[in-house]
Amino acid sequence: MTKALKINKNAEQGIKEFLRFLLESGKVKGVFSLKKINKEGAVAYSLITDPKDLEDSVPFYPVMPVTAGSLLSRFTLKGSPDKPVVAVMRPCELRGFVELVKREQGSFENVFTISMTCGGVYPLDMAVDKKIEKNLPKYWDAVKKSEIPADVRTACKGCTEFKPYTADITVDLVGNKDIDKQCIILLNTKNGESLADGMDAEFLEKKLDTKKLDVLLDKRAVEKKKLFDEIDKKMNGMDGLIDIFGRCIGCHGCMRVCPICYCKLCEFESPDSEYKPSNYNSELKKRGGVRVPPGTMYFQLGRLTHISISCVGCGACDDVCPVGIPVSTIFKKVGESVQKIFNYIPGKDVKESIPLVTFEKEEFIEFEE
Amino acid sequence: MVEDKEFMPKILAFLCNWCSYAGADLAGTSRLKYPPSILPIRVMCSSRIDPLFIIKAYLGGADGVLVAGCHPGDCHYEKGNYYTRRRFALLKKIFEELNMEPDRLMLSWISASEGHKYARVATEFTEKIKKSGESSVKNKIFL
Amino acid sequence: MSKSKETSTIKTAVLPAKSGTKKAILDFLKNAMDKKNFDAVIIPMRVPAGDSFVYVLIKDVSLLKDAFPLSPVMSVQGARVVSSVTRLGKGDMKIAAVMRPCEIRATIELAKFGQVDLENVTLISMDCPGVMPISDFLSDPEKGMKLFDDAVTSWDDSIMRPVCKICDKSSMIAGDIHIGTLGAKKDTFFMIPKTQKGNDTLEKSDIKIDADLDEWHNKVTTLSEEKKKKRNSANKDLKVKTGGIDNLIDTFSQCINCHNCMKVCPICFCRLCYFDSENVKHSAENYLQIAENKGSIRFLPDTILFQTGRMMHMSVSCVSCGSCEDACPASIPVGQIFSMIADETQKAFDYVSGRDINEPTPLVAYKKDELHEMEDAHD
Repeated sequence: MTKALKINKNAEQGIKEFLRFLLESGKVKGVFSLKKINKEGAVAYSLITDPKDLEDSVPFYPVMPVTAGSLLSRFTLKGSPDKPVVAVMRPCELRGFVELVKREQGSFENVFTISMTCGGVYPLDMAVDKKIEKNLPKYWDAVKKSEIPADVRTACKGCTEFKPYTADITVDLVGNKDIDKQCIILLNTKNGESLADGMDAEFLEKKLDTKKLDVLLDKRAVEKKKLFDEIDKKMNGMDGLIDIFGRCIGCHGCMRVCPICYCKLCEFESPDSEYKPSNYNSELKKRGGVRVPPGTMYFQLGRLTHISISCVGCGACDDVCPVGIPVSTIFKKVGESVQKIFNYIPGKDVKESIPLVTFEKEEFIEFEE
Repeated sequence: MVEDKEFMPKILAFLCNWCSYAGADLAGTSRLKYPPSILPIRVMCSSRIDPLFIIKAYLGGADGVLVAGCHPGDCHYEKGNYYTRRRFALLKKIFEELNMEPDRLMLSWISASEGHKYARVATEFTEKIKKSGESSVKNKIFL
Repeated sequence: MSKSKETSTIKTAVLPAKSGTKKAILDFLKNAMDKKNFDAVIIPMRVPAGDSFVYVLIKDVSLLKDAFPLSPVMSVQGARVVSSVTRLGKGDMKIAAVMRPCEIRATIELAKFGQVDLENVTLISMDCPGVMPISDFLSDPEKGMKLFDDAVTSWDDSIMRPVCKICDKSSMIAGDIHIGTLGAKKDTFFMIPKTQKGNDTLEKSDIKIDADLDEWHNKVTTLSEEKKKKRNSANKDLKVKTGGIDNLIDTFSQCINCHNCMKVCPICFCRLCYFDSENVKHSAENYLQIAENKGSIRFLPDTILFQTGRMMHMSVSCVSCGSCEDACPASIPVGQIFSMIADETQKAFDYVSGRDINEPTPLVAYKKDELHEMEDAHD
């Protein structure tokens, strides 16, 4: 059982009241949350310091314009804040940040995290087409019933890690039939408890109803299998990959929005990957023709090699791809299978080393000849 | 010179300076027979091998890629080959998942005194690749 | 532009196109390669899955028959392609690059920045009906092919990129040779040499350059003037819609700072963009300070800084190709906006991007006596 807070307002109002308490009491200097940033209702992450500005915040809005893990990394890369800040983010965003912290691209110092059991987010083009507002009732209905809302990101449909591992505070959303009238805020850690200390609300002992979560888990697992099987059919060697990635325009958007891809100069944009005239000569001698600019498949395979061990399955890559390549399904599928051989779950434990920087004296005999 | 119509694979072999390259040398000085399919590249340690080298070789049309280093525990630099093993496992898994002929990649531990092992691995790998046939990637344009 | 003076004295070649212009162009390239006038050609080809077109550097002549000189989409801007082939050296191959006028112009701009070596490259453009937005083509590639073919026949731009619809330079001769289809008699097309290299290329292929250009020139001028009217009107409307800081912020409210626009832009060649550099990265305390000044800030901030900054950096060289808009995942009309601004900034310096390889870009040249209207006169 964990200590928890119960606020008798709907879940979003409840968390906003909690955030207001945190700012007004001075316990935190700033709040990271989704916020409506103009009259048309465009939603973006914001750093809020004035409690009044929390009015327009929409912490649970089902959209992820940018992965919050990357944002926190940018925020803390050049130095942690002197006073605490709190960030409201989805489980995959938090896992992304944990993976970045392992790579020394951010720090948890003075950063507290609030996450939730996650029903998924809608793709960016639905936000752009202003279709999210009218879908909200259907969305919350599905969340309450432990169902997968229609039209959420492909990555979300098959996501089986929708319960946060490391958040200081978790808000109980999935399967919770009462989210219209009460907000249950679970205080997982000492930090979480100290944040809630002094709040004028009902404290109780509670834990997440795993039965309700398992209902959604099963549905998501079925979806995931469907997605993976579908893409597997297209994986027939190099020809299959060329079919899938042939229309890639090399914008590298997938790499930029990926929370794990943090390199200031990506290998595939560096001089290492540029072709000299002699490279073209030898390629042309072999093939008679070469796609230019070269290296489309090299980029995709190389990026897979670099990040699949830590892929958290957020799906930001799908959203940004101008030509609709199912990047997240491929990366997640390959990611899960490489993570399995190392028994590794990215973002689960910030103290767990990335498998490629450690080793056992005896292992993987099956890969040797 | 008689033209050999049979397919002779091109297998890129990354050999670590202290063990497997010396082992290959020994195979040579011992006049052990093995097919002329291996194109050796000497690196100081098998952990120098970035998985991207292997991907580049594969995309470049190599019929096979062999990574050979010191036996685990005997690395000249103490722990290099432990990392190699993990990276190779990762890459091979990726190739498996993408159905990209993972059998064209091989990892082997060959010490400086194992000239025979080098010749055996080279021969067996070449046979295996011959059965798989020429890599279809070498003619592809839209990579 | 003194286009009318130039072209009425230029002579052109007229070539037969009994089986269509596409085949005729490919035959010309094949013959030129057989004669070793070119060692390789950069030209679009359809990808194996059929859902897009990409540039291929072709050395094997037998591949030419599958090439598409006028492809329905522009997946990668041609100037980036020429840069990827020649940036690290001109090599020993003589290459013909067959691209749209805006791609040729961008290539010329990149040559001014040292990103392209044109010594062994012959640039061949053609009258351009526009390209389809890539997402439209992807939704149904077979239908897209048909729509595009019809659009080429009727020279109708309604299915093309928004910036293509208002492009008045779609027949601009910026390279070495221009393929003119407008105004040509049935089953023929023009090959118009602009430079000595273009002239030599045609002569080496035994093509006579002795016909008059008036028909092409008149048709092109008429079309261009119509487009110019459309362009001015569209720009005026866009200025109202996006002008002013509030409208600008609203326009870019969905921008996720993915920087796709910058990455696909042919002019943006910086390996490390200023807006990805350390200069725009601040410490947590700095960000909190800025947030406290306003009560809250968008995070990451500086979206408008990026957009206007990028305008500042590249608009004098912008060729209005619209690749940025195709790549934007938030469907922001960034191509139209940058295009509108580029018209103004280039006009201010009496400059047309890509018009002349010997014309320095406005920010590296100056006159001792100019732009007084920009100064604050106190006398």
